[in-house]
Amino acid sequence: MIQPSDDALLVLFANGDGQAARELTARLGPRTYAVALRVLGNRAEAEDVAQEAMMRLWRVAPKWEQGRAKVSTWLYRVTLNLCLDIKCRQRSVDLDAVPEPEDGGPSVADRLQDSSRMDALQGALMQLPERQRQAVVLRHIEELSNPEIAGIMDISVEAVESLTARGKRALTAALSGRRAELGYDND
Amino acid sequence: MTDDTDLEQMFAAARTQRDHLPDVLSARMLADAVQVQAEVLAPEPAARAGLWSQLRAGLGGWSGLSGLATACAAGVWIGLAPPDFLPDPVGLVYQQELEVDLIFGVDETGILTEDG
Repeated sequence: MIQPSDDALLVLFANGDGQAARELTARLGPRTYAVALRVLGNRAEAEDVAQEAMMRLWRVAPKWEQGRAKVSTWLYRVTLNLCLDIKCRQRSVDLDAVPEPEDGGPSVADRLQDSSRMDALQGALMQLPERQRQAVVLRHIEELSNPEIAGIMDISVEAVESLTARGKRALTAALSGRRAELGYDND
Repeated sequence: MTDDTDLEQMFAAARTQRDHLPDVLSARMLADAVQVQAEVLAPEPAARAGLWSQLRAGLGGWSGLSGLATACAAGVWIGLAPPDFLPDPVGLVYQQELEVDLIFGVDETGILTEDG
């Protein structure tokens, strides 16, 4: 069965279809929240940003021009702008920002190790300059293409490549010396 | 030294968590969606009538308004070119002014004569 596009779901939503709202929330809500969480490093702020970004999506739905832009690209852009607004107002680092692992997964020891690795990664991400962090999150965690990231961040593809390359180098440097602590010697 | 492989493993682990949406947050998003849908689908309130519309309605609509305009035009025309059987309003005004009794019945000519 062919799934309706995000565009089509937005039209259905604007026409009052409640199922379209649920489908869009299921499709786009997690990614919006994930990006906000990785960029902000704070769960409460990320929730507020994700909710506000989705609210703007609901409000733009009746005026949405199909085919003008990808809904997900538009939403990533709104999300990053909202993150920037928050960062302009305050700077906070919450190394305990990563969601708890779901039950039924790896063993307790593995989960603890995964959790400490996620904490370490998030801590290192928070040390990056804002634009580098955004580019690295979109490229390496959201797995978007460089042209799509360029569209979201309103910069050239070359600038994206530069930001992600410098970001990765900085992350590697920030995490250096923590291999044993993070359990990579045992892998 | 943490190498690229370790970093890639960390990214991969982070990717496994990117589809997680807390239930409470999902509920908040859906509540917003319901609210916006209700606003979008609500009928537009009727626009309040403007001053001109209210005036027109008060005078009985277009027919009342045209009657009033006709009456005004007729009044102006009668004022400027009165029919023969009606007194000339301009003449009436000047005639009244000439008959004003300035000094209680004393003849205006007599006053001028006395002063020499």
